[in-house]
Amino acid sequence: MRDDSPVARLVAQARDGDKDAWDAIVDRYAPLIWSICRRYQLDRTDADDVAQSVWLRLVDQLEVIREPAALPGWIATTTRRECGRVVTAARRREAFGSGLDAENIPDGRPDEAETEVLMAERNAALREAFGALPAPCQRLLALLITDPPVSYADISAELGIAVGSIGPSRARCLERVRRHPAVAALINVDPADGGDISEQPVGR
Amino acid sequence: MSSQWADDDDRLLAALGDAVRAARDVPASFVEAGRAAYTWHGIDAELAALTFDSAAEPAAAPAIRAEEASPRFLSFTAADLTIELEIGPDAITGQIVPPQPGHADACPASGPAASTEIDEIGCFVIRPLPASPFRLHCHASSGISALTTWITL
Repeated sequence: MRDDSPVARLVAQARDGDKDAWDAIVDRYAPLIWSICRRYQLDRTDADDVAQSVWLRLVDQLEVIREPAALPGWIATTTRRECGRVVTAARRREAFGSGLDAENIPDGRPDEAETEVLMAERNAALREAFGALPAPCQRLLALLITDPPVSYADISAELGIAVGSIGPSRARCLERVRRHPAVAALINVDPADGGDISEQPVGR
Repeated sequence: MSSQWADDDDRLLAALGDAVRAARDVPASFVEAGRAAYTWHGIDAELAALTFDSAAEPAAAPAIRAEEASPRFLSFTAADLTIELEIGPDAITGQIVPPQPGHADACPASGPAASTEIDEIGCFVIRPLPASPFRLHCHASSGISALTTWITL
């Protein structure tokens, strides 16, 4: 990640006292912390405890972070360490014979840890792109990613568009996601070249 | 980085769904607590880093039950002040070095701080134990103000 990345900018702004930039950092990475806590099977109280430790530490670190682009890695590492601390404390409380032995604790192998951070970055970029879509695209894609899936007939009724136009609209909206700078940067497509993609037939 | 997830529309849509759900699964209050942590930004004090924690030392004979545990000792060091703490079962006994009077505030993550006097020889007692996590903000008569990193009991 480059140091002119959105994260680096947010860190610099938060360091200078911009509360909105801090909130944006929290919004961006709270899902990463949450998912790590889930993986450690922490209950809500412990997850809150872990997150609080991570954020409070980060506030202290803002002044001294030399490489803001490394922030997601730092957050993931700190979260895993805090999760480990909480799990160890819980085990002590239970004293004897809990089923938790060291091997059961997912301690984040390097590759797994890296994947987690990359996923968090990808998710943040996709959410950013989604948030930047025009409202009709957001509504359509929101229905298309609903789990369990919503039928085209229901989507047609909900949005008041013809069933036949859902497919083309879907392709068009996803192309906008793909071309959003945050997403484009991750898929190694120079945004300036993005036009080529849209020339390709839809539904490859 | 492999970007197969963006190769075709189905994969991209699936990735988008994962991204949106990952954020939606996070409770709002979880996010809000993170946002609130910013109130700690820009506190005017020297940061006192943890330089010793007996709980982090490999114990010669690990205590099996909590009630057998010996007190925990912590040291925090700032440029001009050292803060020594002994965590007892119902109180924290502390001393600042070099010894001097002043006051110490035990600051929880949110809510008011509990203030206590530091006597002439730099000693103080915090009772009851503060809500965890907290940090100690020591104001010495010499004008030194030192803030420990976060302490979790």
